[in-house]
Amino acid sequence: MHTVQVLLLDDEPIVGQRLKGGLEKLGCEVETFENPLQAMARIAEKRFDIVITDIMMAEASGLQVLEAVRKTTPEAKVIVITGYATTALAREAMEKGAYDMIAKPFKPSDLRALVIRAMQDLGIPAPPAAE
Amino acid sequence: MNIGQFLRLPATRLPPSSLPSTSAADPKEEGRPAFVFRFQIILAFAAIFILSVAIIAGAILTVHKVEQLLLASQTWQSFLFEAEQARRWEKNFFLYGTNLKDALEATQKAKITLLKNLASLQKLTDPRKQEEILLHIEKYNQLLEDLFSLAQQGRVAEPIKDEIEISLRRYGALVVDDAAEVSHRQSIEALSWLDILKKVPLYYLLFHFLLVLWLTRFLSHRFMRPLNELVRQTQRIARGDFSPVHSGRRYRDEFTTMEEAINRMLRELETRQHSLIEAHKLRAVGILTAGVAHELNNPLNNIMLTAHALLEEAGELSREEVVEMVKDIVAETERSRAIVRNLLDFTRESESIMEPLQLEKLVEETVRLARNQAKVKRALISFEAEPNLPRISGDRQQLKQALLNLILNALDAIGEEGRIRVAVRRGTAGGLAVEVEDNGCGIPPQAMPNIFDPFFTTKPVGQGTGLGLAVVHGIVTKHGGRIQVQSRPGCTRFEIFLPSMETPL
Repeated sequence: MHTVQVLLLDDEPIVGQRLKGGLEKLGCEVETFENPLQAMARIAEKRFDIVITDIMMAEASGLQVLEAVRKTTPEAKVIVITGYATTALAREAMEKGAYDMIAKPFKPSDLRALVIRAMQDLGIPAPPAAE
Repeated sequence: MNIGQFLRLPATRLPPSSLPSTSAADPKEEGRPAFVFRFQIILAFAAIFILSVAIIAGAILTVHKVEQLLLASQTWQSFLFEAEQARRWEKNFFLYGTNLKDALEATQKAKITLLKNLASLQKLTDPRKQEEILLHIEKYNQLLEDLFSLAQQGRVAEPIKDEIEISLRRYGALVVDDAAEVSHRQSIEALSWLDILKKVPLYYLLFHFLLVLWLTRFLSHRFMRPLNELVRQTQRIARGDFSPVHSGRRYRDEFTTMEEAINRMLRELETRQHSLIEAHKLRAVGILTAGVAHELNNPLNNIMLTAHALLEEAGELSREEVVEMVKDIVAETERSRAIVRNLLDFTRESESIMEPLQLEKLVEETVRLARNQAKVKRALISFEAEPNLPRISGDRQQLKQALLNLILNALDAIGEEGRIRVAVRRGTAGGLAVEVEDNGCGIPPQAMPNIFDPFFTTKPVGQGTGLGLAVVHGIVTKHGGRIQVQSRPGCTRFEIFLPSMETPL
C-alpha cells in the first residue's frame, strides 16, 4: 500500500519538530523543511500527496510554494498555515487552489484532523489508530 | 509725570495654565528692570528740551548784559558831553574871562549824571577807574569853585590864576580822557557780546541738527534691533524649533511683553505638538498590529504545539526530551515577551527625555518593529550601519516614531517586490544621517513642497491623516536636525541629519 507522502514547511523549526511525530503516527512519511527554496527544490524532484506550508517566510512566500505544487502535482492537497489570517489572504490562497487553511496558534490535533480529511479526500483510508 | 508708570516693577502675574511646565516663570525675563521705549523717547526729547532752554536763557542774559553795557556807555557819553562843555567854558574864561559860571554849571551837571547812575555803573565799570574819575571831577569842580569865589571877590592875581589853570587843565584832561576811554571800552565790550549773540544761534542750529540726527539713529537702532531679532526668531519658530525666545537685552521693554506672549504661544504649540505626536503614535501602533499579531502568533504556536506534545506523549518521552521541550516553552515565552515589550516601549506615553543614544541601535530596533509589518506586505527591509558611530542626544521614543513613520510610509508606497533600505552613516559636519529609501511609486513633484505640512496627504480620504511627515519634521527639528527628501518613481529617499554629541550640527 502507498504511504502518504507529506512535506511540512515552516521557518519556525519547532513546528516541524513537534508535528512530525504525530503525523508519522497517522501512517505518513514526513519530510520537514525550514527553508521554502529547499522545499520547492524537493517538490520539483519528489511527488508529495500533502504539502503543509507556512505563508510568511523570509526567502519565499507560502503562496509561491502552493503555486509550485499546483504546477507539478495538481492533485496534491496543500494546507496553508497563517500567522495572521486576513480575508484577503485566505481568498487568495483558496483561489490559488489551497485545500484548507489553519491559523496559528493551533493544536496538533487540529492539523491532524485536517490531514486525515485530506487523506480521505485522496482516497486513502485513515488508520484506525488516529485520534 | 509718574515715573513708576515707565519703570514698572517686574510683573508677577502669569496666565493660568494647566501644564506644570508652562506655569514656571522665566526668572531671566522677570528679573530685569523695566526700561520701556516710551520712557526712552521721553527721556531723549526732555534732554533736547533742557538743552534748548539753557541756550535760550543764555541768549536772554546776554541780551540783557548788552543792554546794560549800552546804557552805561550812554551815561558815560552824556557825562563826557558835560565835562567837555565845562572844559570849553573854562577855556573861554581863561581866554576872555567869561563863562566861568557856565563851566561850573556844566561840571555840576556832569557830576550829577555820574552820581545818579552810580549804582548801575558800578557793576560794569572798573571801580578804581570810576573812583578816580569821580575824584578828579570833584577836584576839577573844587578848583572851579575856588576860581569862581576869587573872581567874585575881584582879586584874581595872575600867579594864582596860572597855578589854578594848570591844575584845572590837568584834571579836566584826565576826566575827559578817562570817561572817553571807559565809554569806548564799554561799547567795544557790548559789540563783542553782540558778535557772540550773532554766532551762537548758528552753532546751536548745527549742533541741534547733529543731535537730532544721532538721536534718530540711536532710537531707531534701539527699535530695529529687537524687531529684527524677533523676525529672526519667528523664522526659526516657523521652521519648527519651539525653544523659547530669549533677548539679551538688559532692560524690560515693550518687546519683552511681546517675547513673553510669544513664549506662552510656544509652550502652547509644544504641548499641541506633543499630543499630536502621541496621537499619531497610536495610529502607527494600529498599523503595526497586523505585523505584531503575526510575530506574536509564531512563539504562541510553538508554545501550544510543545505543550500539547508534552500532554500527548507524556508517557513516552525521556527525561531529556521533556527538559528540552520545557526549555523551548520558556524560550518561546521569552520571545513573546520581547515582542510585546518592544511594542509597549514604543507605545508608552512618557515625558520627553533627552538622553545619550546609540542611534544605530535605536534604528535597528525600529526596523525590527516594522519588519513584521513588512512581512505582511511581503516586502523586505534591509538595515545597515557604519561601525563606531558617535552617540547622539535625543528622545528615544520620539526618534523611533519618526523613523517608524518614514518606514510605514515607504511600506505604503511600495508594491510587489518591495524593498526598503534603512541605513545609518556619518553625515556632514560630524553629525549622523539616517536614510530610508524605498523602490515605491515616488512622490509626485507637485506634492513635494507640501509633504511636511500638517494635514497634507496624497492618500485617499480616510487612509492618511496627513500628519505622519509633519510629526517626523517636528521631531527632527526638535532634535536640532533637518530632513530632506529626493524622489522619483522607483526611488524615494528620506534623509534625516542629526547632530551627534561630538560635534553640533
